[in-house]
Amino acid sequence: MLPLQVLVADDEAVSRTVVGAMLKKAGYPVIYAPDGEQAWRILDSDDPPALALLDWEMPGLQGPEVVQRIRSKHLQSPPYVILLTARDSSADIVRGLRGGADDYVTKPANEDELIARVSVGARVVQLQTALADRVRNLEEALANVKALQTLLPMCAYCKSIRNDQNYWEKVETYFTQHSNVSFTHSYCPNCYDRFVRPELEALEDARAAQEKQRRG
Amino acid sequence: MSDVPVLDSAVVSGLRELTPPGEPDVLADVLNIFLVEVPLRMDRLRNAWAAGDIEEVRRAAHSLKGSAGNIGARRLYEVCRQLEAQGTSGALAGSALVDALGVEFGKVEVEIRRLLNNS
Repeated sequence: MLPLQVLVADDEAVSRTVVGAMLKKAGYPVIYAPDGEQAWRILDSDDPPALALLDWEMPGLQGPEVVQRIRSKHLQSPPYVILLTARDSSADIVRGLRGGADDYVTKPANEDELIARVSVGARVVQLQTALADRVRNLEEALANVKALQTLLPMCAYCKSIRNDQNYWEKVETYFTQHSNVSFTHSYCPNCYDRFVRPELEALEDARAAQEKQRRG
Repeated sequence: MSDVPVLDSAVVSGLRELTPPGEPDVLADVLNIFLVEVPLRMDRLRNAWAAGDIEEVRRAAHSLKGSAGNIGARRLYEVCRQLEAQGTSGALAGSALVDALGVEFGKVEVEIRRLLNNS
């Protein structure tokens, strides 16, 4: 799996550079935002980074406000958000986490702690992605099952099936298109007696007649 | 506070080790940014102080504290922390702390220039 991209949003350039360098050293591709507005624009884009480190206190949009906006989008795979904060009172931390942040790191960031927390985030994002894939696969399978559960009009004589477009299709064609079933052709004992045996016998008779004619 | 170092050598060597092989020096990069950014924010803080804008003093002190913390400028960090606390309490005391800010930054700048010249 490719390393996940991390957004570092901080109006304070020294901290932004240091945090970014720590992440790059650990192998994460990093993008930067110098304030909350730009952080939001990046996170609201079509291909947002999987992880975001947001400074709590930025001019304009603050970290917790960016988090709120992300949460209100109700994404299936939202970014994992860590707040960077100089505040270490537990009341503030509780407020940040209640507001929708996944974790927090106090500033100035300790390299080992920061990377450990980011890798927890990466693990969560990867689990989330794997889970979303599983759900999508199951939903697709379920849709197929549903397609086969509907009432199928079938010709009483030739056993063709009328499809959604009002055309009559062979059973094989219909099921191949609407399920993972594929067909291999054979015959059952009844049909052997009814169709195959008479044909074989007719062939045999024809050959005998030919033989007789050649000799006679 | 006299036994507190101007620059914490453990933090400085931590920054030095952030440079990946073949990349530009992270420590030099960070220190240069510090020398550009911090005086700008100190000006903002002094202006806010002169104007009596307590919230702006707090905000500037907060981000200066962040910059100082990141390079291990521990004495400067402490001055910023006290200024921020004053801003939060809403009562600005005498200008001693604002003066101390300039003094401590001067000391940090000397150390930084020494580091940058040696590398």
